[in-house]
Amino acid sequence: MAGMELLSDQGFRMDGRKSNELRRIRFKKGVFNQADGSAYLEQGNTKVLAAVYGPHEIRGSKSKALHDRVLINCQYSMATFSTQDRKRRPRGDRKSQEMTSHLKQTFDAVVLTELYPKTQLDIYVEVLQSDGGNYCASVNAATLALMDAGIPMKDYVIACAGSFTRETPIIDINHLEESSGGAEVIMAILPRCDQIVFLEMNSRLHEDHLSAVMDHVMAGCKDIFNVLNQQVREELVRRTVQDSLVDSG
Amino acid sequence: MADVNLSEAEKTFILHSVQDNFRDDGRSCEDFRHMEIETGLISNTNGSARVRLASTDVLVGVKVQLSPVDPENPEVGRMEFFLDCSANATPEFEGRGGEELASEITALLTRAYGCPSTMDYPSLCVLPGQQCWLLYVDILLLECGGNLFDAMSLAVKAALFNTKVPNVTMTKDEGGIELDVSDDPYDFKRLDVTGAPLVVTVNKIGHFHVVDASEKEEACSLARIMLGVTQTGTITAMKKEGSGSLDADSISDMMESAKKVGVLLNKSLLKALGEEEEQGTEAVGFLR
Amino acid sequence: MPTDTRRIQGPETSNSPYDFCPTATSDPALLEKQRLDGRDSAQMRPLFLRAGVISQARGSAYIEMNQTKAICAVYGPREVQRREDFSLKGQLTCQFRFATFASQHRRQHQQGNQEKDLSVQMLEALEPAVCLHKYPKSQINVYVTVLQHDGSVLSAGILCASLALASAGVEMYDLVIASSAAMYNDLTISDPTVQEEQAVLSRVGKGSSGMLTVAFMPSINQVSAITSDGGIQFDTLNKTVRTVIDNCQKLYPVLQQTLVKHIEEKKKGISSK
Repeated sequence: MAGMELLSDQGFRMDGRKSNELRRIRFKKGVFNQADGSAYLEQGNTKVLAAVYGPHEIRGSKSKALHDRVLINCQYSMATFSTQDRKRRPRGDRKSQEMTSHLKQTFDAVVLTELYPKTQLDIYVEVLQSDGGNYCASVNAATLALMDAGIPMKDYVIACAGSFTRETPIIDINHLEESSGGAEVIMAILPRCDQIVFLEMNSRLHEDHLSAVMDHVMAGCKDIFNVLNQQVREELVRRTVQDSLVDSG
Repeated sequence: MADVNLSEAEKTFILHSVQDNFRDDGRSCEDFRHMEIETGLISNTNGSARVRLASTDVLVGVKVQLSPVDPENPEVGRMEFFLDCSANATPEFEGRGGEELASEITALLTRAYGCPSTMDYPSLCVLPGQQCWLLYVDILLLECGGNLFDAMSLAVKAALFNTKVPNVTMTKDEGGIELDVSDDPYDFKRLDVTGAPLVVTVNKIGHFHVVDASEKEEACSLARIMLGVTQTGTITAMKKEGSGSLDADSISDMMESAKKVGVLLNKSLLKALGEEEEQGTEAVGFLR
Repeated sequence: MPTDTRRIQGPETSNSPYDFCPTATSDPALLEKQRLDGRDSAQMRPLFLRAGVISQARGSAYIEMNQTKAICAVYGPREVQRREDFSLKGQLTCQFRFATFASQHRRQHQQGNQEKDLSVQMLEALEPAVCLHKYPKSQINVYVTVLQHDGSVLSAGILCASLALASAGVEMYDLVIASSAAMYNDLTISDPTVQEEQAVLSRVGKGSSGMLTVAFMPSINQVSAITSDGGIQFDTLNKTVRTVIDNCQKLYPVLQQTLVKHIEEKKKGISSK
């Protein structure tokens, strides 16, 4: 599109953000009663719902059970109205299967799996509105849902995606920036341990720029972590104060 | 749906409570549970709505698309339903687990809206004989708490009320007629949903019947009737479901109840939707 | 929908010639005067029933209601395929199919949504009648194929299926009788043909215009299934339900006689050996 650049001369992106600014993040834990843990997360215009069931007995064939660890079962599904063009099938296509296996890989590394041998943990993610950063929002929502369910984890898992345009790394890219054809670096980290759990790069990026983009994306992840952590702690403090008031009568 | 295991004593308790017209949560036999409806949540769609009926949670998105007409009805628009049972509701819906339930509900909704008088289908026709608006109504079931049919039909009606169909301008070219869909977010027309039906489910428990059964009450009931009722009391679809059989007299009693409740429900829904639109507040969605 | 590569498909875009010819009675107002086949509004078509037409099946039946023809086969009770499906109650499955040549427009040979819906409705109608608790760990399969569609197919299918179940020796509380009616304003037309059905369903109802099918068990006086389509006024619907139940009562002796005749023939066949 003529005249529409991802990064303007003044350093502003299409939606008015600077290159290292995140989209607005809002979330709520415990949205559903029936799931063991659930969370709703909004990152800009991307809206994701995550639900966690378990740990419970293995459903289906017992041969899938792992004798020393919990079996993590993920499902990534997009609502048919979530994208600009209507999707025919919410799940079952190759893209969703790929996302499902990415999520499973991510959470296998974080959840303390040795505590629940021979059981199954289900993580279901439903994308209600898709505007870029689907994987990142799913991972962040699923982390919150796991916390809501009380599943022990090593740390938060925070994911963020970034790209590189006009010699500047940009982070938390939306759908327009994703589909513009530039490189896309997606990273999921454990913020307090500084460890990378998942790293993926699409398209082409010169090796000279790679470490700069990765550093920026990692900083973006840590920023998201601060936002989430602050609100989670505030809620926890508020709830403890409420409970203590109730106890003391 | 999460299987509710009830003991004989609990079933008897529910049976007696229905007899006394005082159900286990204090309602009478024709009362609905607490309901929350919100429209305009999803910006990618032309219309959306979310209904929360006790613990049943349904999200509906309506997208419109220009498509060729149905050769058997070349002068009217079309509507297609699709239900996705999300695994968020229960692990049994993972993969293709919810397809049976989905096809049952979609079939009833298609029949209920199939009657030509429910919606203004002729106005959805853009170019008679060639192009018309096809409304894709996509339902996402997020949580099951009993009485799915009613919650879904409420959400569908609310979403259709909220739908904004963009205006189309036609220009005559040498190659034919060209259709230009307006990009302006304020250039749209609304749909007329006063004739749209709402599904009311009436469950038979013992010798009496209840409207809006919770999951426990549904487990005690062997047979139920679903009626699609419009605001004027016209019945657009009826279906009996369940492995039990019904007396002819109970059927007319149940139909009478359903019609009464349906007409009231239609009125209150339209009133609530009108109030919500007047207030014009930004949608909160799941954040509350 | 995936196409079957073993069959030679016609050209991609082809239209049936029937789309272009003007349909004779698309106006139900004509029905008020006289129905196409000369019946009056409460008269049903003559019924022809025969049990035991498929020798391999446990039970079978064939029905003809003038031009509507359907055949049903019942297999079972036999063991459930998956051992995990253990239950103290037997399983009843129904499959409702149209032959591809059954209607004016050729149908796809795969089961469409309408057929799935009709299968579910038939299952609802038959399930209350069969004593499933007498067949633990077993399944009973009912397969109905409509050979020619001229209206009231669901009723024909249910009648056929209950006769087939009875001839298979499956224990039932009662025979299930089904009948349909079409409503247009104040007029109730019993046992509509396909033209009457289409005429009624395509009207934008200022009064009522719709279809009703009821499945009834006469000796225990219970309704096992009821479905309606189209926009109908409440009082008309109530009245029509009563009318259709009366029609079912009238059909009951026909089924009974067919069943008795079938058993007598079987007895003769066995005693003559």
